[in-house]
Amino acid sequence: MIQYAIRRLLLAVPTLLGVSMLVFGILRMLPGDPATALAGVHATQEVVERIRAEHGLDKPIHLQYLGFMKDLFRGNLGKSIRTALPVTTEVVSRLIPTLELTAVSMVLAVLLGVIVGVISAAKPYTVFDYGSMLGALVGLSAPVFWLGLMLMLLFSLQLGWLPAAGRGDFRHLILPSVTLAASSVALIARFTRSTMLEVLRSEYIATARAKGLRESRVILRHALSNAMIPILTIIGLRFGALLSGAVLTENVFAWPGVGRLVVDSISARDYPVVQGAVLMIAVSFVFINLVVDLLYGVVNPRIRYD
Amino acid sequence: MLKRLVKHKLAILGALIVLAFLVAAAFAPYLAPRDPLKSSLREARKPPSPTYPLGTDHLGRDLLSRIIFGTRVSLLMAVISVGIGLAVGTPVGALSGFYGGATDMVTQRIVDIMMAFPGILLAIVVVAVLGPGLWNAMLAVGISFVPTYVRVVRGAVLELREREFVEASRATGASGLHIIVRHIMPNCIAPIIVLSTLQMASAILWAAGLGYLGLGAQPPTPEWGAMLGEGYNYGMIRVAPHVTIFPGVAIALAVLGFNLLGDGLRDALDPRLRGRL
Amino acid sequence: MRKLGILLAVAVGLMGLAQTPKLGGELVIAFGTDPESLDPNKITSAPAGMVLTHVAETLLTMDENLEIRPLLAQSWKLAEDGRSLTLYLRKGVKFHDGTPFNAQAVKDNLERFRKATYAFLLFPRVQTIDIVDEYTVVLNLDMPFAPIVSHLTHNFVALVSPKQIAEVGDKEIMDPVGTGPFKFDKWVRGEYVRIVKNPDYWGDKPYLDAVKFLVVPSDATRLVLLETGQVHAIMRVPPLEAPRLRGVKGVEVVKLPSVRTIYIAFHYQRAPFTDVRVRQAFNYAVDKEAIVQTILGGVGGVSDAPIMPLIFGYAKQNPYPYDPEMAKKLLADAGYAKGLKIKFYHPTGRYMMDAAIAQAVQAYLRDVGVEVELITMEWAAYLAFLRKPLEESGFDMFMLGWGCVTLDADYGLFPLFHTSEWAPKGSNRSFYSHPTVDALLEQARVTVNYEARKALYADLIAFLWQDAGWLFLHYEEQINAQRTTAKGLIHHPREYILAHKAWLDR
Repeated sequence: MIQYAIRRLLLAVPTLLGVSMLVFGILRMLPGDPATALAGVHATQEVVERIRAEHGLDKPIHLQYLGFMKDLFRGNLGKSIRTALPVTTEVVSRLIPTLELTAVSMVLAVLLGVIVGVISAAKPYTVFDYGSMLGALVGLSAPVFWLGLMLMLLFSLQLGWLPAAGRGDFRHLILPSVTLAASSVALIARFTRSTMLEVLRSEYIATARAKGLRESRVILRHALSNAMIPILTIIGLRFGALLSGAVLTENVFAWPGVGRLVVDSISARDYPVVQGAVLMIAVSFVFINLVVDLLYGVVNPRIRYD
Repeated sequence: MLKRLVKHKLAILGALIVLAFLVAAAFAPYLAPRDPLKSSLREARKPPSPTYPLGTDHLGRDLLSRIIFGTRVSLLMAVISVGIGLAVGTPVGALSGFYGGATDMVTQRIVDIMMAFPGILLAIVVVAVLGPGLWNAMLAVGISFVPTYVRVVRGAVLELREREFVEASRATGASGLHIIVRHIMPNCIAPIIVLSTLQMASAILWAAGLGYLGLGAQPPTPEWGAMLGEGYNYGMIRVAPHVTIFPGVAIALAVLGFNLLGDGLRDALDPRLRGRL
Repeated sequence: MRKLGILLAVAVGLMGLAQTPKLGGELVIAFGTDPESLDPNKITSAPAGMVLTHVAETLLTMDENLEIRPLLAQSWKLAEDGRSLTLYLRKGVKFHDGTPFNAQAVKDNLERFRKATYAFLLFPRVQTIDIVDEYTVVLNLDMPFAPIVSHLTHNFVALVSPKQIAEVGDKEIMDPVGTGPFKFDKWVRGEYVRIVKNPDYWGDKPYLDAVKFLVVPSDATRLVLLETGQVHAIMRVPPLEAPRLRGVKGVEVVKLPSVRTIYIAFHYQRAPFTDVRVRQAFNYAVDKEAIVQTILGGVGGVSDAPIMPLIFGYAKQNPYPYDPEMAKKLLADAGYAKGLKIKFYHPTGRYMMDAAIAQAVQAYLRDVGVEVELITMEWAAYLAFLRKPLEESGFDMFMLGWGCVTLDADYGLFPLFHTSEWAPKGSNRSFYSHPTVDALLEQARVTVNYEARKALYADLIAFLWQDAGWLFLHYEEQINAQRTTAKGLIHHPREYILAHKAWLDR
């Protein structure tokens, strides 16, 4: 297993190289460039060209790429065109709030999702089952901006319990992470329920039941551990999606996260920042997917690594 | 017995909901009380009334008619983008999980790359290369769904390939492809169906975000996600709540229909349950 | 209109003066976007200008009533021939780092600005900067440039300590050291910029201990933050929310003019818009009044000139009335009785209700037989699309806004209508070109006499109006809102909220 993990980590290098090439190329395929975006409506051509020259955007693309790679190997992600800050500083400072938010909302989503899913599967086609399904689907269909605003209106404006937006102490984290968790709860609950149902129908569980084990024991010990793989997969996917896809939540709650940074930087065609941010997000994905794959082996020892 | 009946009825209810939306899509011009594009600024943001059963939007267009016409675009959006994710992701995930080794390593690293790639960037690229519009938006959303399918199917397959019935089939000398198609895939149906029915909601909501960036269906095409987005972007959620709530209800209802239908479908396709229902 | 705006701004100002100001406290202002920079040379947006203006001051300033006033320059004199501007500087002023403010500091700043500013349009004609004595500077222009005085009031032309200029070299300034009533404290990107009281300020000392500019991208969230009292003032209230907000206790809604005109430009060099009848027909076909009243909720005014009423040089015209029959007749006269197909590009999420307005225009044009294909683009792509030269231009019509930030007609008309400013060089993206217009624009630029300049612009605007180079839409207004406990805030037409003299009634 350790050997496998090491091999995977070594393979991260070509993966990240691939990401960097792809992002580098695609960014330059986009219409518009940092100079036109930065200079804005009022700019003259003269200014646009000066900005291009200042940032070496007037050089041939292969030279730009070589320069980028050279810096990259020295661990230098370059400087933001828009803010002139080092990309590393900028991305890291925005990745931290995102990690906070993602972690809290994942804990919420996994706890709630797995519990609801398991109960639904244990008592299928009951009021609880359908009630939770309905709740899950509403959570999934409600756009983040709507849900977020509703929570704000209730808990901040009406009840005055929580700050409406912004980053600060722990209380600031509650509303955005609940909002962010909503769609994940739905996904995790539905997945848990469905795989649990599947497992509960298998001969293996029938045997366990026949042996006279208590139902709760059957469900928790035997069924859940067997249903863990799809659940783990979904958790891994959600974790990743939250990392890069929390833009809307970050917008609604004025959360200074990396999702907003990426979107703002794409809009500004701030090439170095987008490159750097995507690269760092990619690193997190490599880790998340590795952890998920390793956990597969933990929950089901029959799965081999090769 | 009772449970099975309830189960059955709910699947039928799901089918009916989906059917209703399909009918609405097919016969929109006959069902919609008004022209969904006809704006009348004097009638803007009217709450529901007998004249406008669901009220009007910020340009004074009939919301009910827009939702009915929006069925076409939004269902298409949901089905096509989920379809792309499904069609590409499932086989890749299955092969990757079943064969493991180098195949798996390479595919999964590609998936890593795809997942790290921001969806919005992808959408801008697709639109930049192919031009703005609905089909290209669907393509972009579809592509962004692919890694999810790959990971989910692969996870399921990883576990299945160690099961006795697969080992048994292998022992009889069956080819890999045969095993995947005959033994593995039928057992992956459950997660795929659950995922697909849920992704439909995401696909429709994605449209709201893309529309805001000028990357989705071009206005004034009625489309649920964009309608929601307008409610938010133009500050109508609190002062004219019907503008956001009704398209939201339409999305939730469609997703509910697909989910109930999906549950029924899964039971029907489950090899262990086959013949028992 | 001009009166109304001024009254509002003054009213809010006065409310603060009625009571004895209380000292201390931190005031929080929420705005939509993080400044892109706080380096005077690199800033291009109003949010950045708003923060900077509290920290780094300009030579001249334009108050909320749009009068030009002295600031770091106590007085100024534009030469008879318009070729030089003498500035007499304020004495006894120090930058936050203790460096004295003097003629050398002005020269250092303006040289740096001239070398590398992004706001190049603001500073086009200065050739040399002469130091006469410690507190007198002369700017020499290569040709008369009457608007130079208003250009110097712009907040992008803010002065920082010469010591800082020497230190940063070619690099960008991150923590501006100015002479303002507040000092830069901290900038957490994407979250807030905080500035603190400068106890050694040369003028009236600020009452507040600190001001925090909070970045809150969502309009709806800014409203909730104000309603809960988490912030004291917000910018850009969605027009449709304003009526509700007026009824909220403890909250005051401030409506004030903005200097931005929203227009739809016709491709002036390409059929069908080479025909003035078609351009006029389009102007008759759209009900601008309904757009302003309904879609914008009355937050704005129907354009009655290509620049809005507060700008120097404005000359009121009669808006084309909503007359679909007239439009049809003109189209028929021009040979388009059977209709017409047009590609109309517009931004989304950039200007107030932009995409909604574009859809309304499409609907109005459909009524007179013009089939409009709406195409919206992501902003950066849109900017690049509209920067293409004539041969590559792909639009029939496009929508854009132009903020005439110097409050002088030259900046509001020259870049948009002069032939020398054709894209990609300048901002004349519709390839407008007319010898009469070119001549008047050039003449107005070099005419120093106030009344004579005004008359030139009146002629020019009357001509542009008849020629219908644009589908004239509207000018925007802005709605801000604040807690009633925040006193003495100034809401400025340049899209700033100023806290220089504000205090908190706690």
